[in-house]
Amino acid sequence: MKLKDIGTLLELPDSNGSDIPTLAFVGQPNCGKSTLFNALAGFKANTGNFTGTSVEFTESLAVVGNRRVRLFDLPGTYSLNPSDEAEAVTRRWLDERRADAIILVLDASVLSRSLELALEMAETDMPFAIALNMMDDAARKGISIDVELLSARLGVPVVPTVATRGTGVVQVVSSALAVASRPVQAIRPVYDRDVDMAIESVEALLPAGLEPSERRFFAVRVLEGDADVEARVGSLNREALQAALCIRHELAVEHGWPEDGVFASHRHAIAVNLSEAVSKVVRKPVRSKRDRFDSVAMHPVFGPLAAFAALAGFFAMSFFVGGALSGLVAAPFEHLGEALAGRFPGVVGAVFKGLVDGLGGGLAIVLPYLLPLLFLMALLEDVGYLPRAAFLMDGLLHRIGLHGKSAVPLIMGYGCNVPAIVGARALESRRDRLLTVLISPFIACSARTVVILALVGAFFGLKWVIAFYLLNILVAAGVGRLISSFVPGTPFGLLMDIPPYRIPPFRSVAAKVWFRTRSFLLSAWPALIVASVLMALLEFAGIDGMINSFLQPFTVTLLGLPAAVGVTLVFGIFRKELTLLMLFQALGTTDVSSVMSPVQIMTFVVFVLFYIPCVATVITQVREIGWKWTGISVLLSASVATVLAFLVSLAGR
Amino acid sequence: MTLLDVSESLPVKVVCVGCGLGMSRNLASLGIHAGDIVSVVRRAPFSGPILVRVESTGANIAVGREMAGRITVETERHRDAS
Repeated sequence: MKLKDIGTLLELPDSNGSDIPTLAFVGQPNCGKSTLFNALAGFKANTGNFTGTSVEFTESLAVVGNRRVRLFDLPGTYSLNPSDEAEAVTRRWLDERRADAIILVLDASVLSRSLELALEMAETDMPFAIALNMMDDAARKGISIDVELLSARLGVPVVPTVATRGTGVVQVVSSALAVASRPVQAIRPVYDRDVDMAIESVEALLPAGLEPSERRFFAVRVLEGDADVEARVGSLNREALQAALCIRHELAVEHGWPEDGVFASHRHAIAVNLSEAVSKVVRKPVRSKRDRFDSVAMHPVFGPLAAFAALAGFFAMSFFVGGALSGLVAAPFEHLGEALAGRFPGVVGAVFKGLVDGLGGGLAIVLPYLLPLLFLMALLEDVGYLPRAAFLMDGLLHRIGLHGKSAVPLIMGYGCNVPAIVGARALESRRDRLLTVLISPFIACSARTVVILALVGAFFGLKWVIAFYLLNILVAAGVGRLISSFVPGTPFGLLMDIPPYRIPPFRSVAAKVWFRTRSFLLSAWPALIVASVLMALLEFAGIDGMINSFLQPFTVTLLGLPAAVGVTLVFGIFRKELTLLMLFQALGTTDVSSVMSPVQIMTFVVFVLFYIPCVATVITQVREIGWKWTGISVLLSASVATVLAFLVSLAGR
Repeated sequence: MTLLDVSESLPVKVVCVGCGLGMSRNLASLGIHAGDIVSVVRRAPFSGPILVRVESTGANIAVGREMAGRITVETERHRDAS
């Protein structure tokens, strides 16, 4: 695949215009590409033990040995014939942007399936080296692979790797650099005589202007029914395409194969043979504790119960430990703030107080509540629980018109809604993606968890926290049901790989938690501090009163809340954590119960839980589903929040 | 007989994935092809998907009920008799 677009035959310059070689990781979903990438580049790409963790590509410069390389981590793809958005990203990248070489990552524990992609790569003229990853999983299955034989049969270097431990990662980069500087053509798969003849005939039909090495690739793609390549060939020469399609039809009819299955089944047969030739079972597979764990975790009755118990336990833990820690952290800052405000009267004091409140508020949120939640999410992702949750929940999700695979992004939404919305790209159909993006903002993300734990948890106890989460799930489900009845179509059937459990090395979980904590520290904390200072200034200038009285018909008359909360709700649109901090600031105390009645606190939290998603979420939604649907989503959130909060407020009147 | 009729952990051979063009390709990319030996590991609640193990690789694939109903299979014994 030379990167010339065959439609326009434009010459593209080198991808980066510099001398730094560019390598890209390509492989099937969940084969460890991102883990390999991170092993070389530091924690930059998100990882997880489920298919579709990477839906976008990540780029990084790295120094390997003593050479600088530019690395690209591409979304996983089962084949070069894409079937979802994320796979299409990889295919487009390969078509358009020339890497000097590809590092093809294969999962050694499911070798024959992985080899099918290697055979497809061998059809292209892109130089590549193979990272034979997950050698530890293969060993656990009792499989031993003859790496040298595999390399000889494919005609490309093969390096065994264990990405989680960093084994072999440097060697595979050197191999890729070697094939980049002296490209070798991989050994192309040999099909049946009839198939090979069909390829030759189509090659001869292809329009001029293609390099000899790419003619064969295009011929194979046309015979496989690749819509992209067909369109490009068709735009150059209609008759040639018609003739090629005739050949494809004849080939299929003669052999009684489905038209798009000829190559898939041939490649499968070749891959199975090759895999059998290079690997042997040296001992019985270890029937591990991990398999037995599944008989509980995926049990129709115990599975959901166990998941619920684990989550309740987690909230109990962050409630007791986090609550205590939060108090310890917040108190000194509060004293300091008051002391400073007393020392410097006027505007300087107000700024100081805002600054200290923001600093302390950030710490009081991060340490006790955010860290444990991020840790739990990282663990869930890396261990491989999420696809199992999708399996368990598929039946229920179908009843509200959703797809089981949505469970994966939706659960990630408990950490933050933004990755949930982006993660929806792993779903195959547009309808399922749209629904997942629309429901994501209803999931109580970590910022809202902070509000729930700090207000509901502190003043009503753990039982109510759990009740809040159940309410949240019910509302999300109800909204899902409602939206899906307006979006025609039925969800696709579930079809997804359930990977084996993997015990992530502590280092990688810690790296992931740090990566996300840092992003909180760098983006949210400054926002908290700035907003806090702004709030102090507004108070000082008396503008907060104007905002509050403007919102009074809504906050006081409709929802029965104190007028002072008006300005906090405005800030909450930027970051949900702000509502909490601003509430403390607006009321002038962290003991909210001394100023607000229990019903008022409940009303406030219900409203904050559901009203307009934060700015980052809205921006992401616009990018994924456009203005119209984002508008609908925001309106929907606001109305649900208003109606529910109003209903709660009735209890106090 | 389809995958839906198979009792748990009984190995069966996939005869045909005859459920439209796109689907056989998707199943193939996950490693389920005609001729493969597979078994049903477990079923999800609420008429959810079934978990299929591909015996040759040990890969576990969740397959929605509708799709599973369109994958015809035969038992090893049945094949010997015919």
